Amino acid sequence: MKAKILEEKYTAQAADPNQTIMSAYQNRVLRIYLDKQEAVVEPLRMDFAEKYVGSKGLVIRYMYEDMKPGIDPLGPDNNLYFTTGPMSGTPIPCSGKLSVAAKSPATGTMNDCSVGGHCGIRLKFAGYDMAVFHGQMDKPTYVVIEDDEITFHDASHLWGLTSHEAERELIKEYGTEYSCLSIGPAGENLNYISCINCDYYRQAGRGGIGAVMGSKKLKAILIKGTQGVKVPNIKEVTDRIVEITRTVCVCEDTDYVFDEGTYAFLEACNDGGILPAHNFSAATDIKWDTYNGAVMKKYRLGKRGCGSCALGCGNFMQVGDAIVEGPEYETTAASGPQCDIASIEHNVRFNMVVDDMGMDSISTGMTIAWAMEMAEKGIHDFGVHFGNEEEMIQMVKDMAYRRGAGAELADGVKVASEKWGGTDFAMHSKGLEFPQYEPRGSFAMANSYAVSDRGACHMRSYTPNEEVFAASVPPYTYEDKGIVLYNLGESNAIKFSCCLCDLFGTVDYPLMAELLTMITGREWTVEEMAEVGRRVLNIGRAFNQREGFTREHDIVPQRMFKDKLKGGPADGQVLTEEGFQDILDQYYEIMGWDENGCLPQELLDTL
Amino acid sequence: MKVTVALRGTLKKLFDGPLEKVVEIPEGSTCNDALLAAGIDYKELKNFGFVSVNNLRVMIDSEVKDGDYIKAFSRVMGG
Repeated sequence: MKAKILEEKYTAQAADPNQTIMSAYQNRVLRIYLDKQEAVVEPLRMDFAEKYVGSKGLVIRYMYEDMKPGIDPLGPDNNLYFTTGPMSGTPIPCSGKLSVAAKSPATGTMNDCSVGGHCGIRLKFAGYDMAVFHGQMDKPTYVVIEDDEITFHDASHLWGLTSHEAERELIKEYGTEYSCLSIGPAGENLNYISCINCDYYRQAGRGGIGAVMGSKKLKAILIKGTQGVKVPNIKEVTDRIVEITRTVCVCEDTDYVFDEGTYAFLEACNDGGILPAHNFSAATDIKWDTYNGAVMKKYRLGKRGCGSCALGCGNFMQVGDAIVEGPEYETTAASGPQCDIASIEHNVRFNMVVDDMGMDSISTGMTIAWAMEMAEKGIHDFGVHFGNEEEMIQMVKDMAYRRGAGAELADGVKVASEKWGGTDFAMHSKGLEFPQYEPRGSFAMANSYAVSDRGACHMRSYTPNEEVFAASVPPYTYEDKGIVLYNLGESNAIKFSCCLCDLFGTVDYPLMAELLTMITGREWTVEEMAEVGRRVLNIGRAFNQREGFTREHDIVPQRMFKDKLKGGPADGQVLTEEGFQDILDQYYEIMGWDENGCLPQELLDTL
Repeated sequence: MKVTVALRGTLKKLFDGPLEKVVEIPEGSTCNDALLAAGIDYKELKNFGFVSVNNLRVMIDSEVKDGDYIKAFSRVMGG
């Protein structure tokens, strides 16, 4: 396939001549048109950057601008975005994540995923704040981004390989100075629960983002950058960042991150009554009360971190020939207690297989757990049963390749339950499977899943922080939970728009404003941090509103209202419809949305 | 009566090596009393999270009984 090179060298100027270009941004957006095999560079919309900062917020604003409502998520009009933030590539710790976004085939909503590894920093070093893939190829292809040179390559020999196999081939050919984003068989087969892998062991996991890449016949993207990021007063900035790293990032608050990573959550959630088990029918599974960090460390080869990370949350584990970075808390819970399999060896094997197949571990685990309950209830037997490890591992592969019963489960629990029944215990919101926090042990988490802009997500408003782990508010009530939901959501929205990792530590608004001011040369205030956070929540909602989403879609499965939780400190707890709707009312009012959950025109005009 | 106080998360350093201590406290004591007997004042710890007794989350002023296993967790974030 003939390679095309950017012919016109880009001249730095603002999209709007009256706009000041902030430092730390590259002020370059790379648009790659697959069907034409062309690449064009345009200036970054600085007005968007001032309103949304970067990463999560910036990409949703671009999606809102670029894409018409109603497009087919697996059609040529769905763009695939890879977006950095102003902090990417600077000395600021834990700022190496990359936002990967598109309209989701699983939910029909906007969908932004945050992935670690080194691809975010390398894209920034290649000279871009954002790379956007338009259109579709007619043949399997991989694209190489190397500074100003963008080349298109035949990927016929890679198509059909697993994600790890394809990445191994490419890195063998190109070298380790390249980052690799790739899809596995699940993405090629357009599965709604497929993911994009990054540098072997990190995933942009949710909402079928791998299927969007698969629909473009894009097997892999290689990224190498040799440029830097311009930051003013680099000596003073570096000194201050070193101080922040030592006091706020790497500190007593976060030493559990290096010690155990997110595996530390397992015992805390178990004892806190929010570790879900048996497809969200029980909590605090007694089989898991001894699965703590000490057990995990027996299998750990070492620690790993992403580019620019100062914490190293990743546990690099080996069980037999399965070697993987993980399993994280989510993967452990989804493949363990949810499926009644109390085995860390199984968790590692499951993690390895889902990564290799290019599938989201949360959605895969929850879809199989639902299928197990379908068999247990005698509704339909997909060939997977609670407690059976081998059936589960085989089913993951069958789902990836859409073989046999796996084809019925390949698009997640919403699609499967609408065909086969069992919708009351199909654990999803808007088509995205529940993450591993039991809402009946942390009531506001149900609303968090329901109002999340991409369907059930734990990275929006993480209410166990207040309702369980800090015990700052009672967990089994509805009163004043709307503001808890809002405050946590606003905080994460700005943090992820800065491109900071969730595990950074006690990063607060004054610190984020200080960091942004230091590197961009523009004065950012604490008040602005709150404004940006609110705006990011609104632009996500506005995108979905344009797609037809309203209050009637802000729901959770009936199990939450009908079935009392079994076991643990939240034993017997169940949500009420009235309480759930009450929190929605509180939240909509705080957001300035109408009673139908819609943004009024005057609010839309501010975005 | 005797109870065990165990540390989790970022609180693991507080006993300077061991991860748990057996303490003797009077009948009718609470989790907080047990922690104080083990040398931990949770109000002084900005990253203190919650306590569980025999693997079940309870409030800090919940009563404990002889032989109970009390875990003190730090706050955790994200997932």
